[in-house]
Amino acid sequence: MLNAFINAMRKLISHISLASLLLLLVSACEINQKDIMPEDGFVKIYNHPDEQLALFPESVVEMPGGGFIILSAVKDENSDIEYPYTSLVRTSPSGEVTWTMDYQWLAPSSKLILQNGSVSFVAMNQLFEAYVVTVDPDNGAETAQSALDITMPLYAYTDAQGNLLVLGYDFVTSASWIAKYNSSFQLQQSNKLNVNTDLEYLVQRHLNKMGQDYSFFIGAYSNSSASGYFVNCFYNYTFRTVFLDGSSLSALGNIYSFQTEEGISSLIQKSGSLFGLTSYYEGNNYIMAGAEIDVLSSENIKDMPAEPLYELTYRAAVMALQLETDTENFTLFASQTNDNSLVVYQYALESDSLLNTHKREFDEGVEVRDIIQTADQGIAVLAGIYTLGKYKRPLLYKMPPTLFVPEED
Amino acid sequence: MRNKFTIRIVLLGLILSANIHAQNAGFLNQLRIGFGGGINMAQILDLEPYNIYEDLSGENYLNNYSNIFQNIGNQYFVQIEWFNDFLIVALKPGTYTYRFSKLNEVVFTNETVEQETPYLLRYFTIPLEVRYRLDLQRFRPYAGASIAYSSLLGSLDASNQTFISSKFTAGAVAGSYIDLRYVILDLNVGYHMGLHNITNKEQRFETGSGSTFAQDDIMLNDLQINLSILFSLSKQKHYSNVECFY
Repeated sequence: MLNAFINAMRKLISHISLASLLLLLVSACEINQKDIMPEDGFVKIYNHPDEQLALFPESVVEMPGGGFIILSAVKDENSDIEYPYTSLVRTSPSGEVTWTMDYQWLAPSSKLILQNGSVSFVAMNQLFEAYVVTVDPDNGAETAQSALDITMPLYAYTDAQGNLLVLGYDFVTSASWIAKYNSSFQLQQSNKLNVNTDLEYLVQRHLNKMGQDYSFFIGAYSNSSASGYFVNCFYNYTFRTVFLDGSSLSALGNIYSFQTEEGISSLIQKSGSLFGLTSYYEGNNYIMAGAEIDVLSSENIKDMPAEPLYELTYRAAVMALQLETDTENFTLFASQTNDNSLVVYQYALESDSLLNTHKREFDEGVEVRDIIQTADQGIAVLAGIYTLGKYKRPLLYKMPPTLFVPEED
Repeated sequence: MRNKFTIRIVLLGLILSANIHAQNAGFLNQLRIGFGGGINMAQILDLEPYNIYEDLSGENYLNNYSNIFQNIGNQYFVQIEWFNDFLIVALKPGTYTYRFSKLNEVVFTNETVEQETPYLLRYFTIPLEVRYRLDLQRFRPYAGASIAYSSLLGSLDASNQTFISSKFTAGAVAGSYIDLRYVILDLNVGYHMGLHNITNKEQRFETGSGSTFAQDDIMLNDLQINLSILFSLSKQKHYSNVECFY
């Protein structure tokens, strides 16, 4: 009896020894974590101690040597000038502030322009005249400015050839104003799209960050029917997505909605006539991750089959991006939800298959403003956050590439 | 890296040598089994801070942890000991719970907001202690060294995913056995040093619903005070108040 007990104890100790050895081997891999660098993924909130400032982030670019520049519009409650001024923040690759600089230029509009090592932004003076302003990325000093000869700039976009396209609003003729400039910011072509009604008040509220934002944007498309640009702007009484001819900038087809209360919130060409888009109407947000669109015809948003996104905030801003990796390409849509989360929907590029939904919850409300692909094939999402529920500040969320393309073990 | 490898080899050697000794010697006469518990005080060493907030006016924000005497946790364990005339090898597997808080501040012109995030980490730990003891009859003081492997237990707190599950510690222990004739009490004090960063680098920003902070690279040290009750499986040498041996 006693011997049996002793033998049992001997076996038990042997088993404990073996189990300990196995535990050590298994745990060794975890303790020696693979080399995760701070710049691979991070969240940063850029706080200004002055409670009377509200920072509205607009655009982010990744610099060739690493790090980011963030463009914000800053509203100062004590300022004599009604419109927000421009502020840039330069960060290290892991998001720490390197320098900040404020500029007298007003109501800066997306997106930052990265050209030949310089960074430029489009903003306006007190007379609503649009300028492109170039700064030295090493210290933020203003190095050049060029008048763009349009008024009330609402969005800026640089195409793959380095041309600058700017959407403005002509308050004299009540027209959306689209202009194309070469890489030296010389005017190449411009066109006005008549709104046929005076929407200057709405445009002013948008520029002045008074709570009524519109999803103005510009993008490029090319297929067998035509090639050129699509512009989300006021046109013919409504808020529309207008497909423009690349050379003349004249309007071809468009996607329209009910007046200015409904519209497209993001649009991206996937291939040929296949587009991905999001929209808001009747109080809800919708996504069409793979919609066939004829760029030469006029279509109503509501005639297009769409999936509702009930989780998104009312009239949610959505940013679309084509993520290109070594192995696969994806279409991403970034937005914000009613439970204070930033959300990124990851779709297959060539279909409407939802592959992943990435969420990051915050204590306070967030509003997505920009999304870019980073050099490491991850993404950076720029958003605004109400710090402590009160003060609007920029938030940069760098997401590593492994979230989108899992590493092979 | 080399240090960790050496520690693993030493730990393995201790386990195997205890096994061999146990099989060669009079096994039951040298075995004690019991249970115990106690309190611990966690000490957080910040290896590399990571702050979510960046100040645009150049200020640095406070990024601290609560001090050791505020971080009271507890542990419950089974104690198995093998001993000879002067050496004791003790295994104390059980649950070891550590508490601490992270303190952040965000500075504004007219207010400074302090944010405190409490943590509770519950590990299943297998400490192995080697003790050299003196025999003062009823009291048998000892001192020794300890090494432990811990595995983080599951938790509903999402912020726990900012830590890796494994934890190795090494430390020093001291205490005394108190022979009460039928049972032996073990009063034990130990300080254990973390041997590595316990933060999950990939998940350092996944601090649950909080946008308020990122998990720093930290090491978790602790000071433990334990009391165990041990039962011998063999007949004990009994002491009386008049030192009468029988």
